[in-house]
Amino acid sequence: MNTLISDNFKVILLLVASLFLFSCTEKEYVYEIAPQDILPVNSEKDKDKTKIQYISILYTNLFRQAMSPNDMLDALKAIESVGDKQIAFDILVSKYMNTGEVVVPSNEEMRTNPEKFVRDLYKRFFVRQPTAAELTWMKNYIQSRPDALPEHFYFAFATSNEHFHY
Amino acid sequence: MDRRKFIKKSALVTGGVIGMPYILPSGLLNAQTTPPMTEHVVFVLFAGGVRQQESVLQRYLAGSQNEDIEGNIMYNLLDGQPPEDKIAYGRDDTQNNIIGAHPIDSILQNSLESQGTLFPEVRFARGGAGHFNGLSTGVSGNYYVTQGLRNRPESPTIFEYLRRHAGFKATDCWFVGVGIGGSRPLLNFSDHPDYGRRYGGNFLAPLTTFGEPGQKHFMDFKNYHPESDWETIREIRTFLNNNFAADGLEIPHLYNSVDEENKIREFIRYMFEKVKQDQVILPPVNDNRDLKTIGYAVEVLKYFKPKLLVVDLTDIDVCHSDFTAYLKNLHRADHGVGFLWREIQRIPEMQDNTIMLVMPEHGRDMDPNPIQDLNDWYAYDHSAGNENTRRIFSLMVGAGIDTGLRIGSSENPVGDASDITPTIADIFGIKNQVKSAGLLDPNARSLFDRI
Repeated sequence: MNTLISDNFKVILLLVASLFLFSCTEKEYVYEIAPQDILPVNSEKDKDKTKIQYISILYTNLFRQAMSPNDMLDALKAIESVGDKQIAFDILVSKYMNTGEVVVPSNEEMRTNPEKFVRDLYKRFFVRQPTAAELTWMKNYIQSRPDALPEHFYFAFATSNEHFHY
Repeated sequence: MDRRKFIKKSALVTGGVIGMPYILPSGLLNAQTTPPMTEHVVFVLFAGGVRQQESVLQRYLAGSQNEDIEGNIMYNLLDGQPPEDKIAYGRDDTQNNIIGAHPIDSILQNSLESQGTLFPEVRFARGGAGHFNGLSTGVSGNYYVTQGLRNRPESPTIFEYLRRHAGFKATDCWFVGVGIGGSRPLLNFSDHPDYGRRYGGNFLAPLTTFGEPGQKHFMDFKNYHPESDWETIREIRTFLNNNFAADGLEIPHLYNSVDEENKIREFIRYMFEKVKQDQVILPPVNDNRDLKTIGYAVEVLKYFKPKLLVVDLTDIDVCHSDFTAYLKNLHRADHGVGFLWREIQRIPEMQDNTIMLVMPEHGRDMDPNPIQDLNDWYAYDHSAGNENTRRIFSLMVGAGIDTGLRIGSSENPVGDASDITPTIADIFGIKNQVKSAGLLDPNARSLFDRI
């Protein structure tokens, strides 16, 4: 009797043990993700444009036509003659804005469809789309500043640090 | 607290406040400075390569063309009688077609030598006698024996020392260059990692800014309202720049404040109006680039009253191919410096409150090259290794400078081309900080310490 119980117990024990051993056959996967730095959308622009590149691209962005080589050379000389390049670029853009030939949307166009205006600006000057945060800030700025003109935006984009880099 | 204790404590506190380093407007902790000797310094890089023979030695044609005619053609700077024969350095006699026949009248009643201290025999001690090495040594107090053209100096310039250690604003420091060729637009700050653009001086090459290139691309630039238009532009730009906040990735500006930026823009607008009306202040004779540049330098002085203005000249360098033109331009450089000193005395804030320093950037060869000019006079280069190129002079004049003093001689040279930077640092009370930086040539000393 005792032997029978003992044998039964052994069988049960074996069954239980085999349950533990063979019932969970599904493999456990461990997914390892390499740490990623989240960079701004413009982070790949880490090289200065040469002054001639900057002038050329600036002119094309403002006038939607190419600059003549002679004009480009003179513009470069003018830029070289002033030590603070932010001031030099500001004056250059101010001069171009005074020609009346810069292709800028009207104030009405900007205020009717600010999102399109902002997206076009980023595309034209930064060759990318704005982030959601940038788009929101710009739209809010346009809505909250009735005196802000498309020309102000064009000026700021043209003389911003991102526009000077690629 | 009794009276004695109170006085003792007060004295300790006061002493502590005076002795403590303080935070400069630039945000840097400043070691103590000594009081400045004067408020303004103007440094003329009497550049282009000047031979001692035609300048301080006053040998005119005797030291170069084997003609026994001596004399002083720099009588605003130096004491001495002008040549009496073969006059070719003045204005042209167009009626009789004689080049340089009419010497230019002296502007100053008393020479700068008699009003100040002259070091007649200074050494350009190291490296080749090239314009870059010379100009860079002048503004940085160090030589550049291996560095090529179109590079910034490796050691800090005097502008950076002054902005970093004396807390000067960007518009306190100006380099007015005769052009944009060579390395001139690169001399307003160095590549040194501890200094550099953040402490750079403003640079202007007025003949370009207000000449044809500037007239095409700058003149009549739009006059945005500073408080409405500019404020809006700056707000938008600040947002854009904050979203592009990578280290050092910015338009290479000089950390002029907003007010300084506005002032520089208005200066440029103001000067264009003067150009249009032909009202730019110019020396009485202004028939070369050097003299026009000096005129614009005077305009910068009048407008900004900077603490330091460096102006460089270059027309003397025509000596490579035309000795007569060299003499004419040397005579004109002297005319320009005399005019500059006179105009400084006409600026109330700078009158009797300015020290002017004059030094060529290097000398020229002892022996001529084969090129002859219209007078059959031989031209001179400035060649590496020629000892005559190492001979230059230094002159200082103005508030607190000993008058009529000559230090050194041909037999006993005193002074080094690298001295000007520590001298200016000395004038503005930061000599020890500049020396402590350890970036000057080992021979560089303040000229005041050589007297």
